[in-house]
Amino acid sequence: MTVHPRSLLASAAALILALFLTLPAVAAGTGLIFVSTEKGNEIVVLDKDYTIVKRIPTSRRPRDMHFNAAHTLLYVACGDDDSIDVIDVATLEVVDSIPTGPSPEVFAFTGDESAIYVSDEEDSRVERIDLTSRISTQDIPTGAEPEGILVTPDGKTVYATSEVADMVHVIDPASGAVTKNIVVGTRPRRLILTPDGSELWVSCELSSEIDIIDTKTLEIKDSLTFVPPGFREEDVTPVGMAITRDGSKILLSLGRANHIAIIDAHTHDVLKYVLVGKRAWSIDLSKDEKIAIVANGLSDDITIVDMASMSAVKSLPIGRVPHSVVIDD
Amino acid sequence: MTRCLAAIGLLLAFAVQAGATFAGGSVTIGYLGLSDDPRYQPDLVYTRIEINPPDDPTFGAKMGVDDLGIIGQAVGMSFTLDFEKAADITGLVDAVRRMVAAGEHFVIVDLPASLLDQVAALTRDQPVTLINATAPDDYLRTRCYPNLLHSAASDRMLADAMVQYLRTQNWTRVLVLYGEEKRDKEIADAFTAAAQRLRLDIADTRQFTLATDPANREQNNAKLITGGADYDLVFLADSFGEFGRYLPYATQLPRPVVGTAGLVASAWHWSADHDSATQVTLRFGRFTNGLRMTGHDWSTWMAAKAIVTSYVKANSEDFKKVDAFMRSNRLRVDGSKGVSMNFRPWDGQLRMPIMLSTSNAVIDVAPLEGFLHQTNVLDTLGTDEPEFKCQ
Repeated sequence: MTVHPRSLLASAAALILALFLTLPAVAAGTGLIFVSTEKGNEIVVLDKDYTIVKRIPTSRRPRDMHFNAAHTLLYVACGDDDSIDVIDVATLEVVDSIPTGPSPEVFAFTGDESAIYVSDEEDSRVERIDLTSRISTQDIPTGAEPEGILVTPDGKTVYATSEVADMVHVIDPASGAVTKNIVVGTRPRRLILTPDGSELWVSCELSSEIDIIDTKTLEIKDSLTFVPPGFREEDVTPVGMAITRDGSKILLSLGRANHIAIIDAHTHDVLKYVLVGKRAWSIDLSKDEKIAIVANGLSDDITIVDMASMSAVKSLPIGRVPHSVVIDD
Repeated sequence: MTRCLAAIGLLLAFAVQAGATFAGGSVTIGYLGLSDDPRYQPDLVYTRIEINPPDDPTFGAKMGVDDLGIIGQAVGMSFTLDFEKAADITGLVDAVRRMVAAGEHFVIVDLPASLLDQVAALTRDQPVTLINATAPDDYLRTRCYPNLLHSAASDRMLADAMVQYLRTQNWTRVLVLYGEEKRDKEIADAFTAAAQRLRLDIADTRQFTLATDPANREQNNAKLITGGADYDLVFLADSFGEFGRYLPYATQLPRPVVGTAGLVASAWHWSADHDSATQVTLRFGRFTNGLRMTGHDWSTWMAAKAIVTSYVKANSEDFKKVDAFMRSNRLRVDGSKGVSMNFRPWDGQLRMPIMLSTSNAVIDVAPLEGFLHQTNVLDTLGTDEPEFKCQ
């Protein structure tokens, strides 16, 4: 066996990196950026300088990703292998795989991280999987193609969208039953909750609107559309959202309109439309909220957005069909 | 056990819901088909080789109602389908009248064009909206029946989609071949009209025959009928399909074949994998014990979805209100092609993207990038308002 000097160098670098990563108890975060690629079957890892440092092979069709609270593990829903893979953030290896129902798409942890709620896209149900026993402890029928999942911080409510049935299901996690169905716009995708818990924002991809649900009355209190100059309403297919910690700004990806909108969360005014890549979907904000990163599914790249100037800084090629981005900081 | 409890919980939740929001009832949607419709027989060729399995578009409508049943429950409405078949025009018109008498105001019609034409004419005084789900024939769109909408793609939409693709590829010189069936000429005419709009060159238009008669070999031999002209591709209009099976790779010049063989334009192809198309195809497969969703299935599915969505979003059971909603631009139906769809006011045609596919892949989806329109790019497919005339 011959060892190529470059690979030796790479191994040494990886070793140093690994040592560095394991040292400061990870609470500070590694600064690494993780991008799931639906057709690449891998998580692409970039460092703070946006250099690709690793491609982690996963089960097929990795999509939604979440860290545990300690940021030691990264969970990845892999739709074509019916599993949630678990990546060790220190070693950047897949260390575990949790079986799910057919085609897991989006998931959320319960507050104590004892379980996850996951939408099984091909099975019209949301299931609660106990993370210790790996057993599905709740099996909640939903409309077809469930997607967005949100567990409220108090753990008392779970919200799920059904893309086909145009509704948000309100689920009582204690009983595992749907307590209310809220009819929203066409093809609801993702959910975010304002920090005070009063508003649930729902992105409705095919009616080009954001429905804002009052979480007290569980009724739609406002419906917003965002159309960048030069586009038509039907070109706007909103999906991904992110919100600043103080709840002042919401970032919304506009899908086929190839832009994100940065919105004043209180006045609902658009502060800026930022041109990103093709079919912009998921967005993540860095902890210091200086940058946002957008996954562009149809141009195989991600776009870094500077939040101070609200402009795109650069786009980077990633791999086949980037789905989600998370930043470990 | 957990699953069972959850299901009971869900039912209870719906029961509570129903009382709270809408004191609705049950809605029955009609579905009218032809007994022993020849279009859905297994596609058997010589010595009974099956080249296509039998099709049954009723499954599309059933899946549409099933997909949206839960949203109906959320507003306190339930939806069922009433399937009727008849063998002739008298039976078909009687069936529609029976449906209307039973309170059914929307009927998904799954009939060949000539019968649908008569049914629409003979029921135009009835409080009913018919949705043509499976007849692509352009002449039905220009009849302007007030009681008729179309969720089936029209010949002209399919032709425009193909022509946009050829224009994008810069394959501009076309040899048009058509067969002896009446439909073949209609498909070829729709293509020629679309080609003229985007200024493709029709190198020649030739009629083929199915035979091996040596005296007629200029018309029945693949090499000879594709010889003596220069062209970039062959457009084939062969609704029967037998000639078309043998045309690709048998042309005089090494040129692709498109139309009813080779690259085919349709409302749906099972291999589509964008915009949740895979989920739809897989759900359909489970629903039908393994059938692959076709354009007909997609169109009956969309008809059912348009009806249920209109009832729910109009939040009414009043026929006039629901009908007005369905025909308005407030209707936004998701057909898993990445855009919302509704009906054109001038010809009642459902706007939709069109897939261009081979036997196992979607090569592109029209409207293609760069084909623009002053109001809606979907209106680059099909007869547009300024050029539309009732006949």
